[in-house]
Amino acid sequence: MTTRDLGLVALMAAVIVALGAVPAIPLAAGVPITLQSMGVMLAALILGPRRAAAAVSVVIALVALGLPVLAGGRGGLAVFAGPTAGFLFGWVPAAFVTGFLAMVLEATEKSTLVRTAQLTLAAIVGGIVVLYVCGIPWLAFVVEIGLAKAFMASLPFVPGDLAKAIVAAVVTVKVRQAVAIERK
Amino acid sequence: MSDTNPERAGGATGVDPRALAQTIVFSGVTVVRDGRTALDRVSIGFEEARIGIVGLNGSGKSTLLKCIIGLVKPSAGSVSVDGRDAVGEARAIRRATGFLFQDPDNQIVFPVVGEDLGFGLKNHGYSRAETADRVEAALTRLAIRHLASRRIHELSGGEKQLVALAGVLALAPKTVLFDEPTAHLDLKNRNRLRDVLQALPEQAIVVSHDLELVADFPRVVMIEAGRIVRDGPADEVLDHYREANR
Amino acid sequence: MIASLARPGSSPLHRLAAAPKLAGLAITATALFFVDDPRLLATAFALGLTVARSTGAHFAEIGRDLAGAAMALAVLGLADWLLVDGATALAVVLRLGAIALLAHAVTMTTTTAELFEVLERLFGPAERLGLIDAGRAALTLTLAIRFVPLIVEEAQAIREAQAARGLDGSVLALAVPLLVRVIVRSEAVADAIDARGFPPERAATAPPRPPAIRPEIEADTP
Repeated sequence: MTTRDLGLVALMAAVIVALGAVPAIPLAAGVPITLQSMGVMLAALILGPRRAAAAVSVVIALVALGLPVLAGGRGGLAVFAGPTAGFLFGWVPAAFVTGFLAMVLEATEKSTLVRTAQLTLAAIVGGIVVLYVCGIPWLAFVVEIGLAKAFMASLPFVPGDLAKAIVAAVVTVKVRQAVAIERK
Repeated sequence: MSDTNPERAGGATGVDPRALAQTIVFSGVTVVRDGRTALDRVSIGFEEARIGIVGLNGSGKSTLLKCIIGLVKPSAGSVSVDGRDAVGEARAIRRATGFLFQDPDNQIVFPVVGEDLGFGLKNHGYSRAETADRVEAALTRLAIRHLASRRIHELSGGEKQLVALAGVLALAPKTVLFDEPTAHLDLKNRNRLRDVLQALPEQAIVVSHDLELVADFPRVVMIEAGRIVRDGPADEVLDHYREANR
Repeated sequence: MIASLARPGSSPLHRLAAAPKLAGLAITATALFFVDDPRLLATAFALGLTVARSTGAHFAEIGRDLAGAAMALAVLGLADWLLVDGATALAVVLRLGAIALLAHAVTMTTTTAELFEVLERLFGPAERLGLIDAGRAALTLTLAIRFVPLIVEEAQAIREAQAARGLDGSVLALAVPLLVRVIVRSEAVADAIDARGFPPERAATAPPRPPAIRPEIEADTP
């Protein structure tokens, strides 16, 4: 990691925290969403696999340090033993996979629409599929409800996460039009 | 901020800036960044205690400054400081040459003032005790000892700029490079920084839009589109600069 | 800097070093997953309450800190009751509640600096395994803590500016400028870190140091 990577990782971690601190913004359908989980997708789509995984690891470390950095001012060690801890630790593989797919899928010469679609796909596979694969078994284990029921319990969150994946892809395309940044 | 005594703050008494000045030489330096030529075959030497650099936005002033400590690598040509190559021996050069960035928020890396001042010293291998001594001395020198345990986030823009400068001076550099040091300051803090700068025993190379800041310098250089177009005493060069950009 | 959830105090837990507290928490939490007897779990929960209260924090404060966790736990308990049975629901709520209380007791009595030291000690073995560079990892964490308030402020400023232009509540109008500014700023931050001599040199190769200029000495010089 160069110093420049270090700076990007630290500041992107700060952005993920900041997005948890700004009040929820209503999406098109009028449903308010917290922006923090979208911050994880954005970090991955913009920075690429390694730096994004590092950035979300920094956020997790800040939680462990007792700082209220998660959405709604949550933080501290209690989060790690809670029922949703799997979704928190899942950020690391989710960010890595999202960033990796973004790196291999997106090529610059394609149309904006195609690139947005590809980045959305990357965010869905990494930010939803991989994340849920990490979060659901932990939920099933600590709440003792079994995988199937834990899966059902997580389904209501999917539409919101799909919307975030699309918005994250659109934002990423616009950001990368404004500043050149290589994924790694 | 009203307790400033510029003479004491700068600590210049009895110190001859020329004793510290380094010789900085640009030989045919061209810098191309993102397809734009930022510097175009620049050859110039600096050895005066005070050098001002003026020019419009995007003329290459900041790039010139960053080349001196190897933050920007020339596409062609070379820069040397007291005979050391700016790219190959960047570490040794950075030890003796401090850099004050335009936005102090980007320069301060630790959340608390005292911790931040120690950052450069630790990087250059100073012991814990020596770091504490030098941090103390730098805070005293700029009359900001009362800020030592404050959080950066609670400081004003002017205080942040002084903290950033203290972090630079703690290393006892021979030269300090200033990149638009007053751009983020209000009038009062700008005047304070000017007083500190005037009293500084170190060699200073100052890039600025604030022409008053360099008005009494023995040498001012004007840059236009990556080239040196004027080089001489402040009044002469600044008159030309004002005339050319009327 | 972000305010830590830790509270100053002089309770026994405050006086205990961070490492044993963390180890104790990890062992207790793991052990509780092997306990199913509701009476034992109820005892653990009561113990959690006692330990949390022993830090000097009032139940109202603890409740405020853990409100989010408590709500999630209530929803899950309810789901457990409906989907599985009442006994399981009770066991799950008591177990997770006890762990949350104990974990929060550690958080409340350990400063960020103490926890940071533990983390730095963990960096050592991770570095030997080639996973990370300890110095860089520590700097990255510090930098994130330093920049959180700045970027939160920047995000709020952008939202206010957008609201003034009638773009209230647009995610794009917030995220795009915020990210562009952060990327540009990170370059300047990296330059500044390099200019200040990072990464640290090895002590053995350090060249002789220039003398410090001391104001007291200068003041004596005519």
